[in-house]
Amino acid sequence: MLKTTYQYEQTAARLVVEGFPDLSAGHSNEAIGILSSWRLQLVGAPELEGTRDHLEALMGAVMPYARHRLSGVQRRFGQESGFVSIAPDQANHRLELRSSREGVEPLQLKLDDAELADLVRCLDRLRLDSRVKLTWTFPEDRPLKRQEIVDRVPLQKRLGPPLLAGVALACTIATAWLVPLPHETKESSPVPAPVEKPETQSDR
Amino acid sequence: MTEAPAPSAPTDGSRLSRRGVERLDLLLLTIEALDLNGGEAMVWTSQQMGLQAQFPNRVELWKRRCHNPLRRTTRRDQLDPVDAESLICLVCAMADRLYPLLHQLLSSREPEQLTQQRWQLFHERLRDLIEERMNQRREAVVRLLTMEPAGSLHRELISTLAFCAGPGGIDRLRATLLDPTP
Repeated sequence: MLKTTYQYEQTAARLVVEGFPDLSAGHSNEAIGILSSWRLQLVGAPELEGTRDHLEALMGAVMPYARHRLSGVQRRFGQESGFVSIAPDQANHRLELRSSREGVEPLQLKLDDAELADLVRCLDRLRLDSRVKLTWTFPEDRPLKRQEIVDRVPLQKRLGPPLLAGVALACTIATAWLVPLPHETKESSPVPAPVEKPETQSDR
Repeated sequence: MTEAPAPSAPTDGSRLSRRGVERLDLLLLTIEALDLNGGEAMVWTSQQMGLQAQFPNRVELWKRRCHNPLRRTTRRDQLDPVDAESLICLVCAMADRLYPLLHQLLSSREPEQLTQQRWQLFHERLRDLIEERMNQRREAVVRLLTMEPAGSLHRELISTLAFCAGPGGIDRLRATLLDPTP
């Protein structure tokens, strides 16, 4: 059985996947159903390679990170103890890769927006390639929950307006409390003079 | 080339919110700021994608974009989900086409001075387009024009286009535009 190799390139990133068709699943000769290895080359960084688990971990960290980045939510993705994690690093992104071999220090790569976009596009091409019959385990792109969107706004900015409104209301109430109410003065009204009833004919 | 949405568009009937429509139109405006011939290129790209039914000419495309309430001329009815899906696909296809430019603007490996000049040109073009197309009596438009530093919003728009370029970006962009308003 011949090994099949596919390459996905985007400016500063090149992803190469190698594998075999899964003949038991009825794959054609040019399909990859069993991934044997992959290599990722990023400009200015050492070449990365690994097994399917590592590639799944990379996909599972980078794709949700890019999705959240579009919504302005910047947080870490990937488990602390997992193979891959990605987190914001000032204006850039820090991709951390941990080897499955013992005694190997984690590798940290600093990517700018352009390099991250290149990587995302390579991974997009891989997951959308109909010749690669692999299933990827990362969450589907969905609208975020309101809480996640709210959390991106700093606490100071979020609580500022209601706090200011509360203070303004308290000041108004305090001012109104301090201002004395005008005294009600009762004016003595003159006693009305008795009205003389004119005599009518029936009274007589 | 990014493919057009199927007739049974995968929009699950979700309509874009007002903010989603504003953002979608702002992304199209960003594309026009990057490409001087952007309006024509959009019609040409939509025809390449098989979207003649939605956008047979520039006027029809303009009509869809007029659902943005920040425009000088706006339409009060809501943007149809199929039209919204077509516009999302168009943005992704145009971003794919303009990706080298987007990459140049975002890359830290480009010469510093050249990058600054490119950003300056982009800021000016986008500002001119906003002044020309948007209703400047709207507070949101005034904020867009007077925002300091304008660069942060403009960088966000460019990186959004870079992350949603190509067929793989359609789902990401749609999901982002359907985000709830905070």
